[in-house]
Amino acid sequence: MSVLLKLTNVAVYVDDTCLLEPISLALKQGEPLTILGQTGSGKSLLAQAIMGLLPDGLTVSGEIETFGKVMTLEERQALWGREMVMLPQEPWHSLDPLMKGVDQVKEVYRFVRGNSPEKALAMAEEDLAQVGLAGNGHKRPDELSGGMAQRLAITAATAGGAHVILADEPTKGLDVSRRDGIVRLLQTRAKMGCLLTITHDVEVARQLGGLLLVMKEGRLVEKGEAASILDFPQDAYTQELIAAEPSAWSDITAPIRQANAKDLIVANELVLERGGRVLFDRLSFTIKQGEVVGIVGDSGCGKSSLGDALLGLLSISSGSIVRSDSTAKPFQWLKLYQDPPSAFSSSVSLGQLLDDLVALHRIDESRIPPLMAKLKLPAGILERNCLSVSGGELQRFAILRALLLDPVFLFADEPTSRLDPITAKEVTQLLVELATEANCAVLLVSHDPDLIQRTCHQVIAL
Amino acid sequence: MKAMLLRRVLQLITVVWGVGTLTFILMRSLPGDMAYRIAASRYGQDNVNSEAAALVRAELQLDQSPWVAYWHWLTDLLQFKLGDSLVSGLPVMDSVQHMLGHSLLLALSGLLLSVLIAVPLGLLSAWRGNPLDSVFMGLSSVIRAMPVFVVGVLLLLLFALNWRLFPVAGFGTPAHLVLPAFTLAISLAAVSNRVVRDSAKQTFQAAFYRFSRVKGLSEWQTFRQHGVRNIAVPVVAFFGIQLVSMIEGIVMIESLFSWPGIGHGLAHAIFARDIPVIQGSALVMGILFVLLNTLVDMICLWIDPRGVKA
Amino acid sequence: MMSMKKSQWVGLAILFALLVFSLGGMAFSPYSISQQDLNAVMEPPSATHWLGTDHFGRSMFTRMAHAVGLSFALSLLCMFTSSLVGTAFGVWSVWGGKKVDVAMGIVVNILLALPGLVVVLLFAAIAPGSFLVLYLAISLVQWVEYYRVVRAVTQGVIQSPARQSSQMMGFGRWYQFKRHIWPAISPSVFTLAAFGGANAILTMASLGFVYVGIQPPLAELGLMTVELFPFYSEAPWLLAQPLLVIALMVFAFHLLAGKRA
Repeated sequence: MSVLLKLTNVAVYVDDTCLLEPISLALKQGEPLTILGQTGSGKSLLAQAIMGLLPDGLTVSGEIETFGKVMTLEERQALWGREMVMLPQEPWHSLDPLMKGVDQVKEVYRFVRGNSPEKALAMAEEDLAQVGLAGNGHKRPDELSGGMAQRLAITAATAGGAHVILADEPTKGLDVSRRDGIVRLLQTRAKMGCLLTITHDVEVARQLGGLLLVMKEGRLVEKGEAASILDFPQDAYTQELIAAEPSAWSDITAPIRQANAKDLIVANELVLERGGRVLFDRLSFTIKQGEVVGIVGDSGCGKSSLGDALLGLLSISSGSIVRSDSTAKPFQWLKLYQDPPSAFSSSVSLGQLLDDLVALHRIDESRIPPLMAKLKLPAGILERNCLSVSGGELQRFAILRALLLDPVFLFADEPTSRLDPITAKEVTQLLVELATEANCAVLLVSHDPDLIQRTCHQVIAL
Repeated sequence: MKAMLLRRVLQLITVVWGVGTLTFILMRSLPGDMAYRIAASRYGQDNVNSEAAALVRAELQLDQSPWVAYWHWLTDLLQFKLGDSLVSGLPVMDSVQHMLGHSLLLALSGLLLSVLIAVPLGLLSAWRGNPLDSVFMGLSSVIRAMPVFVVGVLLLLLFALNWRLFPVAGFGTPAHLVLPAFTLAISLAAVSNRVVRDSAKQTFQAAFYRFSRVKGLSEWQTFRQHGVRNIAVPVVAFFGIQLVSMIEGIVMIESLFSWPGIGHGLAHAIFARDIPVIQGSALVMGILFVLLNTLVDMICLWIDPRGVKA
Repeated sequence: MMSMKKSQWVGLAILFALLVFSLGGMAFSPYSISQQDLNAVMEPPSATHWLGTDHFGRSMFTRMAHAVGLSFALSLLCMFTSSLVGTAFGVWSVWGGKKVDVAMGIVVNILLALPGLVVVLLFAAIAPGSFLVLYLAISLVQWVEYYRVVRAVTQGVIQSPARQSSQMMGFGRWYQFKRHIWPAISPSVFTLAAFGGANAILTMASLGFVYVGIQPPLAELGLMTVELFPFYSEAPWLLAQPLLVIALMVFAFHLLAGKRA
């Protein structure tokens, strides 16, 4: 097996601060290599350094050997498309928003491979048919779904015939079912050459196999065969990362506190239409007090809309929603949002927001410190605003704010999908635990069936 | 597309109604001796008598009740009966047509020149970056601070009065067009070059632009395939916004250079209180404005079809 | 609350200096704007006439001070009126329901159907030389800009999880405006106000320049430009004064705006 790409002590710096500590690796033909780590672990910098795409101000040290030769930046750039390519993280941003899909593949055959326009078009259409996009070539990227856009981007990137393929978070933001398809597509594309994948998703690493590098905060913590690392992780961090996968969670469903809990919401034959599309038809279910109910389904299936409808934020097309608990006030029906920073005003500190709430509802302030301790929130975050705390902290602060109002129902709309797996696990567990303790019903939305399975009493599949 | 056209047609109707109503109010609010003064300017100071004034009053329907007069005024307008100038006595329609030709010549040459100046400078700014960028941007903020007539006065002082390269005012030869067109072009370009620069910078930094290079296309191929059109979207949309400045600029420039266009006509008519001409020229300006906006909307939709559904 | 860039401070300083010049000139000058001295026409700056005299021998210092004061008065009045009206209507249009929004949309579409200067010209024709009409006409044209921007931003805020969550927790409309809407719109309103101030000055000067704005013998920057233009070669320092001051005022407002609208 020939070595196509070899890194010796490659490190990335901004001024004197080291963002990525020296790392050495070799990419061999036919053997995929995967780098696993959470956001901010410096793994994307590595791919950018290899390509020669580091943002201004970052410097790289060490040796990057491509096809057995140390090359300058310009020499490596000359290999783009033909020999070496990087797949984009966000396909929607990486495709020209104004150009038809097929033309974005065609131009590679035309300009990089030097074919005639007619031949290039034919080849592009054949490529699209192969990835299941036949008949979608005339669409612009904004008319494609996330999975389709990612397939288009991969097709366009690999049309130039590159042997070394770098994939930076190729499955980010995709549903589980779409994710596996992309992994298979990557594997077929890389048959001729070699594939370096960067991901935060343990499952993706498992499916790709080959060599695995685990990184934490710009540092390599473990290296070896993917199968052996994932089954027998040595390093504590790797172990934590694997344990954070919902499929590896132990069942944390708490028993409903009152055995004879009363009904809280009775939904009967709900129908919801949006934009001329029926999201769900004649859906009936009951949510009891203090119950944790999960909703699963692919993106766009109406999971969030169902929760909004129960809260009265969206009007339903037909059917009925009966709130059985007539003593609960309107502000005891609350929602946790998917993107924590967007759910807070950034104009004042979190402490000010909390004071506003305390003043409005005359809340007993002595309840705050113990609750903050339970949520592992440091007192210092009250001084800061929502943009300067981490997503996990902010989501826990959102839970704190909600619990102070003694809610009877909490709609948690993918509350952890923007968080790293380890943080996500922690937040989900705290949410379920504290809500159950307060006898508050939770409607938990997720695209991950495993997560729902491990946390909910009742599951609604859409 | 349909919604856009409908909106523009409605706007066209409001232009006609708005201008008609404003000029009607203007006419009714004329002070009592205005009929005399108008008669004086038409027939000469010595020939004014109460008969001539009464004639003028009847012509302006000042003797009718306001609502009847308003109704007549609007129906005449809808039939494009614009009446005769109170000063020259010539049909407004004819003089407006004549003025429109001159204004269009000035507007189009000014706009074309501004594109020829702004696009290359903006692209150069975005592509080369500092220090060139700072120089261009600094220069354009200084020019932007000057009202268009100040730019005109400066050009006039330098090129017409000092170096005597071009005629001071008037029309007839291509040389007469140079200074007015450049005044308009410079004041428009000082704003639009920033838009071109920002749009180009944004496109050059866009993920799809980089992805095209990573796919293997050369810098020039990437610019041609993905740069031109994406840069053009905000720029063309901005030309729509700039139409306001263009029409405002024309009013000022025509007055400054005595260019016999609509703006010059309007300013003069307002000064002389020649109501039918005020109405006619404001109307044509409004219609021109709406039509040009429609044109810009259509070009925008053509280069960026994403808006079609929205 | 708002941190300003260095260039914004420079803009503010220039405006402040001009304001001091204007107020000082109006308060302490021994001459009036229409006091003629035909024995001393078009004099260069001297100890008695700091900025010289014009073609009627009137004190340029006094006239400039009054002209600048007039420009300031108009621009500040227009700025306050149009920003207040535009912001209020913009927020109301989003919050007041569909009917309000449609009605406002029609009004705005009518106002946008004509270029601003043409509207102001037509109003100026009704009452020539009236400061009040000029102020009303310019404000009428300018509030639309605020309305459009405020409405667009507010629409985003109304849809935002942050405001929705405040509403669900029981906070009232004033709170939602204070914590969510105002922080989102205030930078744009501030920028628009600075540009609006510059535009009001430009519009008044333009009207003066085509002789349909403020009427003689009052001092107004655009009017002074035309009056002094014939003497450009004998007394260039006279023509330079109004031109320079207009550009300086507009430039200072642009600096104050900080960014482009």
